Amino acid sequence: MKITRMESTLYVFDQDRRMGDANSPAGRIKGSGCVVELHTDEGLAGIGLGGGGVRPQMQAMVEQLLVGQDPRRVQGLWKRMVDKHFKGGHDGLINDAISTLDMALWDLKAKANGEPLWKTLGGSKQKIHCYASDIGLPMSDADLEAWYRRMATEYGFCHAKLKVGLDQDADLRRLEMMERVFKERTDAPMLYVDANEYWSPKQAIRKVSEMEERCSIAWIEEPARRWDYLGLRRVKEGVRTAVCAGENLDTLGDFLPYFQHRAADVIQVSYGMTGISCALQIADAAFGYELPITLGGSPGLIHAHLATVMPNFMTLEVPDPVVRDGVFTSDIEIVDGWAILGDRPGLGLEIDREALEKQRVDAIPAGSGPSPFGRRPGAGLYEVLPTAAEQAEAAKGVSA
Amino acid sequence: MKITGYRVENYVMQMDRSIADANNPVGDDLMPASLLWIETDEGISGIAPGGGDIEQFFHLLEGEDPREVVGLWRKMVDYVHKGGLVASGGPIAAIDIALWDLKAKIAQEPLWQTFGALEGRTKAYASGIGYCLSDDELFAFYRRMAERGVDGGKLKIGLDMTADLRRIGIMREALSVASDRPHLMVDVNEYWSPKQAVQAMHEIEKRYDITWIEEPARRWDYEGLASVSRRIKAAVATAENLRSIGEVYPLIHNEAVDIVNVSTATTGFTGCRQVANMCYAYELPVSMMNCQANYMAHLAAALPNHLAMEVVDPGREHCLRFDNTIEDGFIVLGDAPGLGIEVDEEALHQLQAHPPERKSNFPFARREGAGLYVKEPEVGEVPWK
Repeated sequence: MKITRMESTLYVFDQDRRMGDANSPAGRIKGSGCVVELHTDEGLAGIGLGGGGVRPQMQAMVEQLLVGQDPRRVQGLWKRMVDKHFKGGHDGLINDAISTLDMALWDLKAKANGEPLWKTLGGSKQKIHCYASDIGLPMSDADLEAWYRRMATEYGFCHAKLKVGLDQDADLRRLEMMERVFKERTDAPMLYVDANEYWSPKQAIRKVSEMEERCSIAWIEEPARRWDYLGLRRVKEGVRTAVCAGENLDTLGDFLPYFQHRAADVIQVSYGMTGISCALQIADAAFGYELPITLGGSPGLIHAHLATVMPNFMTLEVPDPVVRDGVFTSDIEIVDGWAILGDRPGLGLEIDREALEKQRVDAIPAGSGPSPFGRRPGAGLYEVLPTAAEQAEAAKGVSA
Repeated sequence: MKITGYRVENYVMQMDRSIADANNPVGDDLMPASLLWIETDEGISGIAPGGGDIEQFFHLLEGEDPREVVGLWRKMVDYVHKGGLVASGGPIAAIDIALWDLKAKIAQEPLWQTFGALEGRTKAYASGIGYCLSDDELFAFYRRMAERGVDGGKLKIGLDMTADLRRIGIMREALSVASDRPHLMVDVNEYWSPKQAVQAMHEIEKRYDITWIEEPARRWDYEGLASVSRRIKAAVATAENLRSIGEVYPLIHNEAVDIVNVSTATTGFTGCRQVANMCYAYELPVSMMNCQANYMAHLAAALPNHLAMEVVDPGREHCLRFDNTIEDGFIVLGDAPGLGIEVDEEALHQLQAHPPERKSNFPFARREGAGLYVKEPEVGEVPWK
């Protein structure tokens, strides 16, 4: 089997809720994506999702490194792509490109065997522990409560995460609300909070300590900057709650200081960390340190495949239990609060050609990316509360 | 596809020559050996050189799909949680290897491709394990390897500095047809204390540029190993006697190892790959240990941080056929599905029917004086004294 060419399509979609975090309290209601297809001479195509900002880089990599190669040799091809970008580094934009292509290669490898990726990786079909992730800082208390309740009743979630960071009183109130909702499902919900690097280490210690007086928190995510391993360790030692970090790192080497300095209690492998190939390496390294892995949100929850072969896998982030963008479907379902893997070959993704055509765009419109507003003023210094304009924008909900 | 049964065949492996190290310089050419078959409902079997008490794990495997090998590995490792891997590592490794063989056979591809390697080849180095070989035999072994392009060699040392220095020179001369500066490695198999290692390496490094010294202190003595590494120029290689990634971690965290010896000892392909990936995070190279029929080269070919694999080639595959060769200094794997190993059942039957009358010296016991003082070989113990 030989790779022949790549095709990529940008698209936009409407979200079912206003999403944002401490860095973007006004939030956004449009999302965007990119479908990448690696075609082969045998008619099979591998799907990668992502890389919307690096289509020229992906095209060049496919032409120079992948065309004519057998996709089943994905580890070797991954190394080719990484080694090719030795001098400038394979982080940043190059990381986005490698990640998306690596995903498509793994999809092809599994499809070539006619089996789901979890089986190609060697995993056993199992229920995957997961939690509902709001990414809903702009949402009103009422809307957020309704969303949590729907996650608990319709999908059976017992565990959930809350975006925090700007307004401690609101955060405490919403934390208790989240606990109330999920205590209807279980006596011991895992409650996670996420500050998205908006605090300094000492701010984090003050705020999390106050939260700990109200609830038992399972982890605080990104309580200091991604590269500040000493600050993260400071927080880790300063609170009872576990520190979870790693989602904004790109490469295996980026994690070294976390391991060496024991900077975090839970290692987060997010979507697009030099691909599926590298995610598996990170998990193995963490396993040697007895550190648990949590997998970040991924399109169609495809990270659930990886969970089956990580002996130190802890839990999977679920921002959306069902794919909302209309362009593709996934056969990974949430049932009774667990992610259940499917049996479709490869990643289990299917593209709706008609919908993709309808939603396709030539360029991603401003405000449709995952973090369209960048880092918020005051980050790491003091909290800038949502402004009147931001509050007004947030109050529009999804009707704007 | 479902696992339905298994078969273990034990035999005594008689090698074409003896192998020996500092702990047992006399060495032996006999070694107890086993072969494991894991059978499925579709007639395909997975093979592993290895065996042991498979029965204790079989209830975890029966009826399961062999392609889910990593999940089954986890079941086995979790099953022996309380007692640990000391007694159970062998059978788990054998099962894991047979399952990977099956997984690749089901996909009808060589195992190196299942692991995702770009090519079925990995760099080789020659390892005589030949403390029992005369100087001439030693030269012949390394020259034979060098003629196949192998440009690195490892020598067993530790009991006699004069002889060790001379024999390093013989190895270098033999390898010189492959490279002007062959990679020279030495291996003392935990016979020295850390300070003995530092002193001996000081002598050796005055004469030779050594790529690595293997096991210059005890396997778990991370402070001793780190202290050797800081005081010598050569890399410290170790870990062949560890049983899991958790045992390797203190060595890595404390900078006690420069090159990590990986093998099936850490529970087969699955555990070996975990260790290698952890090393990759630390920018540490790994070197695959030798094995019958060189089958671990399938994984080595897929590891981004693999340095070179040990090739001993003592002639121990009398009941096996395999499709890899040494060419231009590399182990070149073929395209046969799975491990590329076939068992010659008739030859195996003959080995079982006519076992040698002598008893094997294996496992090599630890030699008197280890870590304390050097007990030199007695006259007649080795041909080079």
